[in-house]
Amino acid sequence: MSNLLAEGERASVVLAGEGALRALADAALAASDAEETEVFLRTRTYALTRFANAQIHQNVVSREARARVRAVRGKRVALSSTDRVDRDGLERAARSAGELAERVPENPRFAGLPEPRAIPSAPAAYVERTAVATPLDRAKAAQRICDPARAKKLSAAGFVATLVEEVAVASSKGTWAYWPRTGSEVQVVAIGDDGTAYADRAHADFAALDVAGAADEAIAKCLIAQKPRDLAPGDYEVVLAPYAVSDIVGFLSNQLTGLAVEEGRSWVGGKIGERVTGPVTLVDDAFDPEGYPQPFDYEGQPTERVTLIEDGVARGLVYDSQTAHRMNARNTGHALPANPFLPVAPMHVRLEPGDKSRQELVGAVKRGVLVTRFHYTRWVHQLRTIVTGMTRDGTFLIENGELAHPVKNFRFTQSYADALGGTLGIGRDLSLVDELLAIAGMSRRVPALRLARFAFTGATRY
Amino acid sequence: MHSAAPATGAFGSERDLGRRALDTARTRGASYADVRFVRREVEDAQVKNGALENVDRVDSLGFGVRAIADGAWGFAASPVVTGAEADRVAALAVEVARASALTKRDAARLAPVQPVTATWRSPVAKDPFAMSFDDRLALLLRADAAMRAQQPKLRTTRAAYEIWRESKLFLSSEGADIAQTITETGCSISAESVGDGEQQVRSYPASGGRSQGQFGWEFAERWDLVGNAPRIADEAMALLTATPCPQDLRTTVILSGNQTMLQVHESCGHPIELDRALGTEAAFAGTSFLTPDTLGSLRYGSEAVSMRIDSTTPGGLGTFAYDDEGVPASEGWAVKDGLFVGYLMSRETAAALGKASNGTMRADGWARLPLIRMTNVSLMPGAAGTLADLVADTDEGIYMDTNRSWSIDDRRFNFQFGTQIGWLIKGGKLTEMVRNPTYTGITPEFWGSCDAVCSDSEWFIWGTPNCGKGQPSQVGHTGHGAAPARFRNVRVGVIRA
Repeated sequence: MSNLLAEGERASVVLAGEGALRALADAALAASDAEETEVFLRTRTYALTRFANAQIHQNVVSREARARVRAVRGKRVALSSTDRVDRDGLERAARSAGELAERVPENPRFAGLPEPRAIPSAPAAYVERTAVATPLDRAKAAQRICDPARAKKLSAAGFVATLVEEVAVASSKGTWAYWPRTGSEVQVVAIGDDGTAYADRAHADFAALDVAGAADEAIAKCLIAQKPRDLAPGDYEVVLAPYAVSDIVGFLSNQLTGLAVEEGRSWVGGKIGERVTGPVTLVDDAFDPEGYPQPFDYEGQPTERVTLIEDGVARGLVYDSQTAHRMNARNTGHALPANPFLPVAPMHVRLEPGDKSRQELVGAVKRGVLVTRFHYTRWVHQLRTIVTGMTRDGTFLIENGELAHPVKNFRFTQSYADALGGTLGIGRDLSLVDELLAIAGMSRRVPALRLARFAFTGATRY
Repeated sequence: MHSAAPATGAFGSERDLGRRALDTARTRGASYADVRFVRREVEDAQVKNGALENVDRVDSLGFGVRAIADGAWGFAASPVVTGAEADRVAALAVEVARASALTKRDAARLAPVQPVTATWRSPVAKDPFAMSFDDRLALLLRADAAMRAQQPKLRTTRAAYEIWRESKLFLSSEGADIAQTITETGCSISAESVGDGEQQVRSYPASGGRSQGQFGWEFAERWDLVGNAPRIADEAMALLTATPCPQDLRTTVILSGNQTMLQVHESCGHPIELDRALGTEAAFAGTSFLTPDTLGSLRYGSEAVSMRIDSTTPGGLGTFAYDDEGVPASEGWAVKDGLFVGYLMSRETAAALGKASNGTMRADGWARLPLIRMTNVSLMPGAAGTLADLVADTDEGIYMDTNRSWSIDDRRFNFQFGTQIGWLIKGGKLTEMVRNPTYTGITPEFWGSCDAVCSDSEWFIWGTPNCGKGQPSQVGHTGHGAAPARFRNVRVGVIRA
């Protein structure tokens, strides 16, 4: 059996390589008798070393593979997926999708597979040092967090993760796209007797991952987060750390798609060219070298840089081939692997920086709240961008430009677009906030923000 | 429930590879190891606005090895089912465990379990994989068409099903050899309306995604999706012009069975996970206000509130014969007459409390390690009769049905939920429909305000096929029996319209 992933020592490290994936894709295309066929391939090794109570308690290395074949007969379309990424598995998936496509009813809205288009060059996203990181490398990084936490009589929880992945898309129309990439991330929650604090770092290069910076940030913040006091819920001016800003950007940007507008759930529906929020600029930039660049989407179409919001004005949406066809728009190359839940999305979002240091953002606040991180955020009303969630891991009262004391965590119920409408200051430093986005092929780079008003509608007991 | 016959099933060659992996792990120095082979077949189909939007058949097979070496844990997994790969993955699991030991403070200890040889299959009346695709799809097309025929102005209609079958083989270095096959079926319809600055959704039989049970296709047929489609369509359109939910007041709330189910899941099921209580989920999902020192003494709710942990409940998504550590299914109390009395436990966390595991470890496929997951955590029925009886017994309040929004803090105290639809209750009757209903509270206060739970006739074992936990993330399938329940003095309407 020519099993791709079992081919010798090379496979035990990282990549199958473009040639091997192309041969498999070609085999699947040859095995299909459908009118049009598309093959998506993904192989990865994902390693995550998880610690809690200041010791490693879960530690995993998983080699994973997924192939998905889309078969088209006229307007009839079907998918078949497998993790048997070898010649037999691919051919079986191709036949399965083709057989299913004979049975399904026509989808009159289906536009056919996209025609191949040239893929532009992009900054490399693959770093060999990340790909070859060992369990001991990750454990030492975890130790770099757990030991100093213990030295300060704190506990620590979080993870150190590395990812090496390659994706490829081929179609019977001639599409071929291949991209290898790596990612690494460290998350830390430092835990005291009565207060916690969070920090996160991410980088494509594990050797450049700032583990010590994350540990030091979380520990230092945790030491001043102890014994939080009650603060009455209400509307407060806020300074949001990038970890919290990332949540806002994630919710809002996922509605900046042609599909969301088509389905009537987007906050910018019918408002392109209009002011929809405050003086912020949001772009989707798959070529950002500080993100996790990837120049094509999961239909093998070139991804365009799209300005979504420019100085508060709605400027653009992202599309996959199908919604672009239905809405008579240009395909921007933002298809995710075919799925019914999030088939299209901005995947490399950046909220452009301002000119303020984090100290300047806090220093300008007479009375307000510093939020480190949000937790368990969910839509309450998509169209009005109302979200509810909690603060966690470092919430402080700001008085006269300084952190006065930690406060117990709040529940908020707030329109995210309205919150950005009150933008008073934008941090000049961008953070790559990963939060396991890398495994989904996504990235977000965001600054800290100072906002005029945020609605805290309840509080909890800690 | 299970046979004592040797487990052969569909895992002939995999069993040999599994034993080889265990031998390799032992040779490399593991003091304990287990291996799971998992084969999963799934078919998802979604109809949207009258056309088949997506159909995907998934075929997955792989294995994972868990090992303790130098007193610490390691795990490795692969989809390559060969002897050489079994050796590599087992050796890697031990290497990972040795690396984990770098930060070790307490050596891993496992509560004892009697290793068994067993096989088990969940019962299926109508095998969804044996019937024709056309018949499955026809149900979705008819239900979707019924919504659109009833309300042509709906922006989006959806109908979906999933059929799911997982076969797994568990072998341990202690001698366990357990093969199980579980079949599930899920389905849903939803109608979405848009107009005048509003966007509303109604779905059935539960909230978005799908309702799922450990059944065959009989589960999809029991809900009468086609018959309920016109009502769901009408309600979605009516919500566009319905009165907004009263804002920020305290009143009586009656929750539907499917909303009570989610309340149980979030505010009881998660906080009774002992791994959370012991801090091992602290960075992500969070911890729990139900700390070990409160076991047996904390008043969780009123005397009307009793909750079971039961992995034997027929049809529940948390039903099995053995968990993914080879611990047999069990039943017991989480909350008895309002008192917190029991955790969901693994072998390791149970040992920390000097107890035996009650068998709640499950993994999401072969590539992830087992975690404590809810089995079937259920609110037991009360004596309030039917939903109509409960409404008739309520002078004033709001009835809320089908979840739309859910959020809870990282110790599971402060929650806020929204439902798709509500009705004011006046004089013992449902009156005016209200849109965007929400309610919020603190878990023990909220369950403490529960004064009535409907009777057996309203109780149903709901399924949640999308419970997220762990890093790397895992999706769990959990079951929750629930009936409509009444809560007093609840804060409702926390939304800025």
